[in-house]
Amino acid sequence: MTAAIDDKIQSHATAKGFTLTSACWMVVGTFMGLLGATELMAPDLTENIGWLVFGRIRPVHINIVLFGFVTPGLLGAAFYYVPRLLRTEIYSEKLGVVTVIAWNVALVAVVISLCMGYTQGREYAELIWPIDIMVVIAFALVFINLVMTVKNRQEPVLYVSVWYVLAGVILTATTYSLGNVIWRPNSGALVGIPDAILLWFYGHNVFGLLLTPLAAGVTYYVIPRVCRAPLYSHTLSLVGFWALLVVYTHIGTHHLLQVPVPTWLKVIAIVDSIAMVIPVMAFLINIWFTARGKLGEIHADIGGKFVFTGTIMYFFVSIQGSMMALPDVQRVTHFNNWVVGHAHIGVLGFAGMITLGGIYYVLPYITRKPLYSRFLADLQYWLVLIGMVGFTVVLTIAGLIQGNAWLNGEVVYRILPEIHPYYVTRAALGLMVFVSALIGLFNILATLFFNTREAAS
Amino acid sequence: MYFPYFISYITVGFAISLVVLIWAIKTGQFKNQQRARFLPLTEELNVSAPKTSRFNRLETYALFLLAIAGLGASAAVLIAALLHGK
Repeated sequence: MTAAIDDKIQSHATAKGFTLTSACWMVVGTFMGLLGATELMAPDLTENIGWLVFGRIRPVHINIVLFGFVTPGLLGAAFYYVPRLLRTEIYSEKLGVVTVIAWNVALVAVVISLCMGYTQGREYAELIWPIDIMVVIAFALVFINLVMTVKNRQEPVLYVSVWYVLAGVILTATTYSLGNVIWRPNSGALVGIPDAILLWFYGHNVFGLLLTPLAAGVTYYVIPRVCRAPLYSHTLSLVGFWALLVVYTHIGTHHLLQVPVPTWLKVIAIVDSIAMVIPVMAFLINIWFTARGKLGEIHADIGGKFVFTGTIMYFFVSIQGSMMALPDVQRVTHFNNWVVGHAHIGVLGFAGMITLGGIYYVLPYITRKPLYSRFLADLQYWLVLIGMVGFTVVLTIAGLIQGNAWLNGEVVYRILPEIHPYYVTRAALGLMVFVSALIGLFNILATLFFNTREAAS
Repeated sequence: MYFPYFISYITVGFAISLVVLIWAIKTGQFKNQQRARFLPLTEELNVSAPKTSRFNRLETYALFLLAIAGLGASAAVLIAALLHGK
């Protein structure tokens, strides 16, 4: 009851700021993805426009989707649910707003610097040193705000969502620093094989120790509330949490199985990739058993619907990920479009879906108004779902064509005409996802600023 | 020389994890797990539950079918890779 009374005087400025950040940058990120996909389909489209070439657009797409769309959306939800779960207020809304502003300044710098060609040239770690520092500071500010909220809590027990969000934020700040070699500002890199090992330690952990914990935190909060049922097992959720931290940190080297890194490191990466089944199934069994018999309720709530779909995609992408770490499978699937399909299931299907679910779930609470349009949110859901499943199908087929052809000794360029139809389809699906981002932005803006209706109590 | 960075990271990581674990045990984070299950529900649900429909349920089953189809396709790739990938 206390929380409900307090809720009326809280501004939720930080949650609103991160939510709006996510919605705006989803438009930019998906547009960059669409542009990149169009360039693969029609390479001369941006001929002689240096700042729009594929090599610059792709890192903008990846970094903006990662740090502009998914992470702020999940943090927006976290800044709502963490104080609720701890029966207190957020430590400092002012600090939160400053963080949101700093975050957006960093994102603008990301787009400008990458389009101008300033890059470290390392996949997923392209950002130059000054922006690296801005990113680390932004995560540190989020951590300070959340950990001080924990310190001021009235609820003695930390619910598993709080564990996940705290771990996700601090682990990312540290692995980001290490992976971007911030102690070497000029290059942002080590030399040779150690750099590759370090890069993929970071490259995989930025998904496993940022998106996964933040998305799990949202899921553990939203699903019991939508179902109006307690979590199936809190003990199991903590087992999954600690197992994720222990297992996930070792698997980055499975991207380097065909590279001369030490064999023991490859073995660890493969074994732990398979062992990922433990935290993944601990999480999914817990969520699905909580939702048992409540599927209708989940799909009646737009937030729950997005989040639950994200858990199904998590199941799929995790099994696929473990499988891909097997050397015999990887010989066919690695370095081609299969991996791109896998990444889209993970980031858009799992983390992206849960991000949108988290936003739509908390919006009525932080604005104290109903969602502007349930129809538009449903439309966005189906556009994202169809786009994402379509990506999976066409990129998997294109990847298998490439992989098998290369194994048979065929050269890269002779395969391109064969996969061209799939690139065309991929661009069309990208257009659907971009349109969904525009719809989502309108719906969220309308809910925040133009909706005059009051929430039903 | 890159080992010092790795070793310091691992050492700091272990130290922080250990401190957090000890703090968690001391503050009873692993006790009373039954009560912890209900924590998301202790706050009032001030938005009324949306109405469910048969279509909502069917939609969920369709999603499961989609996931199973995807898993089936992945399994086919796995088997094909193991049989013909050499």
